[in-house]
Amino acid sequence: MSDRVAIVGVAQTRFAPKRPDVNYGEMAYETISQVLRQTNLALPDDIDNAISCSHDIWDGQTISNISITDVIGGHLRTEEKMALDGSTAVYYGAVGILSGEYSCTLLMAHTKMSQTNRNIVNNVAFDPIYSRMLGFDYTSAAALQARRYMYKYGITRAQIAEVVVKNLSNARFNPSAHQSGEISIADVLSSPVVAAPIHRLDIAPDTDGAVAVILASEERAKSITDKPVWLLGMGTSYDAHYLGDRDLADCRALQQAAERAYRMAGIRNPRRSADLAEVGDEFSYQELLWMEGLGLCDKGDAGRLVESGATAIGGKLPVNPSGGLLSGVPINVAGLNRVAEAVLQLRGEAGERQVKGAKIAIAQGHSGFCGQHQCVLVLGN
Amino acid sequence: MATKIQEPISIPMTVSVPYRFAAGSYLTKCLIGLRDHGTLFAVECPKCKRVQLPPRIVCATCHVRNERWVELGLEGTLVAFTIMYLPLTDPTTGKPHNPPFVYGTVRLDGATSVLDHFINVEPDLEKIRVGMRCRMILRPQAERIGDLSDILYFDPIPG
Repeated sequence: MSDRVAIVGVAQTRFAPKRPDVNYGEMAYETISQVLRQTNLALPDDIDNAISCSHDIWDGQTISNISITDVIGGHLRTEEKMALDGSTAVYYGAVGILSGEYSCTLLMAHTKMSQTNRNIVNNVAFDPIYSRMLGFDYTSAAALQARRYMYKYGITRAQIAEVVVKNLSNARFNPSAHQSGEISIADVLSSPVVAAPIHRLDIAPDTDGAVAVILASEERAKSITDKPVWLLGMGTSYDAHYLGDRDLADCRALQQAAERAYRMAGIRNPRRSADLAEVGDEFSYQELLWMEGLGLCDKGDAGRLVESGATAIGGKLPVNPSGGLLSGVPINVAGLNRVAEAVLQLRGEAGERQVKGAKIAIAQGHSGFCGQHQCVLVLGN
Repeated sequence: MATKIQEPISIPMTVSVPYRFAAGSYLTKCLIGLRDHGTLFAVECPKCKRVQLPPRIVCATCHVRNERWVELGLEGTLVAFTIMYLPLTDPTTGKPHNPPFVYGTVRLDGATSVLDHFINVEPDLEKIRVGMRCRMILRPQAERIGDLSDILYFDPIPG
C-alpha cells in the first residue's frame, strides 16, 4: 500500500466559449491523448482506474459517463463518475490509490456549457417545492451572497471589481484562457448589471473544455516522472442546501475542508506556508470569500488584500495566477483546472504566469449554489 | 380531538431543459455523407479491424484512434427486433410514434456494429424473423436534414 499520492501529468484543452466541432468524447480525448503522451503511459495496460467528472443535467444524458468509457479507457474495466466539481475527483481518485486497490488513475473532467442554458440548468439544483418556482439560479443566489458578504464585512464593490481586473490581467499569460485583457474597475462596473451587485464581468463566462490529470502511487510516480507533485493534504465538506440555513457571508464548509486538508499536510499557518492559491472564482466576490474561508487572511480582510496587490502574481500570496474561472473555465471542470494550474506552477512550467519558487499550492473547488460543497487540496513539489 | 387527515401536497412541474448536441467530427462526416450522397460510412479500427457504427474517435477495445473510413452497404441482416405497444416520443419533434410499430437491430453488410431503427413491416410475429434481410430506405434527397431521421426505416427484402 502506498502512503503518498502524486500528480504525474496534466493536460487541458484550450478553453473556448463554444466548441461546435467536437462532441464530449472528442473533446475529452484531446486531453486524454495529450496526458498519456506526456507521461509515456498507454491505455489500457498502464492505467488501472479511471474517473470522469461531469453533470448529467449539463451533459443532457443520464449517467453521462456511459458514453465516454471508450475514450477514457473504461471499456470492460473500472470507470466511475464524480458528479461534483473536478477537485473532488482528485480526492476520490487519491482515496482509491491510498486504499491500495489502484496504482495509477486517470481523471478527466469535461463540460460544454454552450450546449444548454446555464440559468435553466442551475434552476434544477434548487428544491422543487421550496425555491425552484422563484426561477432562482446560481447567479441570483450569488447576488444574495455577495450582498450579505459586502454588508457583513464592509467589502466594497470596487474591491470585488479588483478581482476581475487582476484575473483578466493574469489570464493574458495563460494560453488556455479565452477571456483576458487589461481592464479597469470602471470597465467592470460599467458592464451590464445582471443581478445587483453582480455585473456581467463578475461572472465566469460560458465555456467549453476539458482537463485530464493522472494520479499515481509513490512507487509508480517515481518511474513515470522526475517532477511529481505530491498531494499533501485534502479535505471536503458540505454545507446546508437551503440558503436560509447558512450565513452566506461565512463559509463553514470551506473552513472545515481547509482545516482537514491543512491538518493532513501538517500545515499550521497557511498564510505562511502557501506560495499560491487557485480558487473557484465562479463569481468575482467568491475569490475574496474563499480566501477567508481558506484562512489565507482574516474574515473581511480579503478586499483590502486584493487592493494592496498582495494577491497579484508578484505579490505575497498570488491567488489565481492562471486568471481563474473569470478567464473562462467550464463549471465542473473548474476544480480540476485549479489543480492542473497548481501543478504547472509547482513544476515551474507556468510560463509568464509562473510564481517564482512555488513549493506549496492550495487548490479549491466547489459545487452547488453559493459553494455548498467544498474541496480543498494542498499540493507540494 | 379528532385529527383531520391532511391532503398531501404535490406540485406539478415540467423540467424542460433545451440542448443542442454537437455531433462531433466523426458523426458529422457520416451524417453529411448520408444527407448529401445517401452513403453510410463507418470507421475500422487499425488494430482489431472492428468496423464501428456510429463512427467515433477511439476503438474502445484497443484504445487507438480510428482513422480509416469504410463505406457500408445499405442492406443488412436483422439481428433482433421488438413490436412496440407504447407510444414512445421522438424528443426532436415531441411527437409520439404510433404503436404498434417495430424496432429492429440491423447489421449492415460490412459492419461489425449494428444500427437500431424502425422496420417497415406489419407488427406481426408471422411477418418478422431474426435473420431477415433488410434494406435501408432514406428520405428523398431534397428532404434530408443531416440527422438519423434521414433514414426512414428498413424495408424487408422479399425472399
